[in-house]
Amino acid sequence: MSYIQAEHLRKTFTVRKKREKGSLLREKQTVEAIKDLCFTVERGEMVGYIGPNGAGKSTTVKMLSGILTPDAGQVTVGGRIPWKDRREHVRHIGVVFGQRSQLWWDVPVQDSLDLLKDIYRIPEEDYRNRVKELTEALEMEALLRTPLRQLSLGQRMRAELCGSLLHRPELLFLDEPTIGLDAVSKLALRDFLQWENRRHGTTIMLTTHDMEDIVALCPRVMVLGHGSKLFDGTLSSLLGRYDTVRTVSVRYEEADAKPDLPETVPVNREGENLTITYSPDSYPTAELIAKLQQAGTIREMTMQPQNIDHLVAAMYREMDL
Amino acid sequence: MKAYLSVFRLRRRLETQYRGAVLGGVICQMFFGIILIAIYRALYAGKPQEYPFSQIASYVWLQQAFFRMLLASDPDLLDKIRTGGIAYDLCRPLSLYGFYYVRVLAQKMMGSLLRAVPMLVFAVLLPEGWGLSAPASAAGFCWALAGLLLGLLCVSAMENITMGFTMRTLDSRGMQGLMNLLMMILAGNVLPLTLFPDSWQKVITLLPYAQMLDAPIRLYTGQTLPAEAPRILLIQAAWILILTGAGMFFWNRNQKRIVIQGG
Repeated sequence: MSYIQAEHLRKTFTVRKKREKGSLLREKQTVEAIKDLCFTVERGEMVGYIGPNGAGKSTTVKMLSGILTPDAGQVTVGGRIPWKDRREHVRHIGVVFGQRSQLWWDVPVQDSLDLLKDIYRIPEEDYRNRVKELTEALEMEALLRTPLRQLSLGQRMRAELCGSLLHRPELLFLDEPTIGLDAVSKLALRDFLQWENRRHGTTIMLTTHDMEDIVALCPRVMVLGHGSKLFDGTLSSLLGRYDTVRTVSVRYEEADAKPDLPETVPVNREGENLTITYSPDSYPTAELIAKLQQAGTIREMTMQPQNIDHLVAAMYREMDL
Repeated sequence: MKAYLSVFRLRRRLETQYRGAVLGGVICQMFFGIILIAIYRALYAGKPQEYPFSQIASYVWLQQAFFRMLLASDPDLLDKIRTGGIAYDLCRPLSLYGFYYVRVLAQKMMGSLLRAVPMLVFAVLLPEGWGLSAPASAAGFCWALAGLLLGLLCVSAMENITMGFTMRTLDSRGMQGLMNLLMMILAGNVLPLTLFPDSWQKVITLLPYAQMLDAPIRLYTGQTLPAEAPRILLIQAAWILILTGAGMFFWNRNQKRIVIQGG
């Protein structure tokens, strides 16, 4: 049996809307946040969970962590049903909600961690070792005695992670952990997550909108849209379907140079630069280069795959999300 | 148990950090105390009195000193409920009710103690008829302390019920306004309960609000004799059980239908 097993999960919410003019009552609408979701996750896996805003990602995480009760369906995490036995379940999991804070705002980080030690009944020695290990890996020894409110966002996120991992959870949920972080903090966070996964075999489920997070961390991706699972597999196989277009940027010595290309290959002029988008499958690259050279003296030329965000956007579009 | 104790300690320590607020509260409550006593003195001047006036002055001072115990909610907790920060609290292997209860308890206890001590010192120094008199008897004082402790448990349980409503309405103001109004009047903060008509008092003193501060104050001033104290404490204990039980039931129901909105 897999570590996480979700079968036919369903959850609907009722949304009350502002009443329309002329009607007395507010309109009620039920929104199916999750419809018939099934998946499994093995112990030690790192799974990226993506989908546009409102797809039901956070709802799934809340159901798996025992905060929400689904309307129908079954979930077991390590043999436990999260919402039935909430207190026993949460002892084994860690959660980071990127937009909320679990540490106490007005007291030094160390005090919040001490409190978590008592809440999770971590033995003193184990606690000391773990704090040392985590603070070293997260490079935050210096932050322990600072009140949380005085930390920067990146520092705070590291402290939050430390708090969520103190009790050595088997499973870690990360809900947009890199939101608002600068490049250095993001990279450090990714390194840390990889380290934690490798060293302790922690199962990690990551929801994010930052595709770089997924590329760096998750061999497996699940795509959620309108409450259903649309894809489950490796990131490369997912993107392979959409990664069909290349962009070429050219600058000529002559200002008015214009390559003679067929209509299917659009050319955009931005100042001195020409941007050409083409698909290698339908228009041979060799022919394109030949045409470009005929048009004038090339001063500069770059060729790029499409930005990953564009690919994801194309994918969401095709899946009608 | 240790976990709840740690939460209690940390929250208690937090309360000591807002020293400016303590000073402001003390000055405000002193002002109220003096004004109220001045009003009662003016009303009673030259009229036959059922109780010695010093008892009423003591009543007013004790009410003002422990004002914070009655009327103060934890803005952090209400914020957590409103913004969904409560999601993290649900990820702890603790009873949600207990987790919030100890925080409320710590805040009310430490918050009111910090204010009560300087205020009571001030009130003792005022002249007879204006200030706080000594307790009626040593036994009465001890019973009053026990009663105050039970009153604290009672008021915390009540606060948790108010918070339970906040979980449903997502805005604390409506229900809290109503509960605070009831509290101010029925706990004796606006007018000492001893000044209500006798027939009213028979009912009012049985309500939960009278158990919070009125009951221990009466034990202090000697209006309730030490011989009656066990009965009073029993009524307090009964209300604690009822309010805590109702609160737990309410919270458990809330927890099942909780929806943390947004990402």
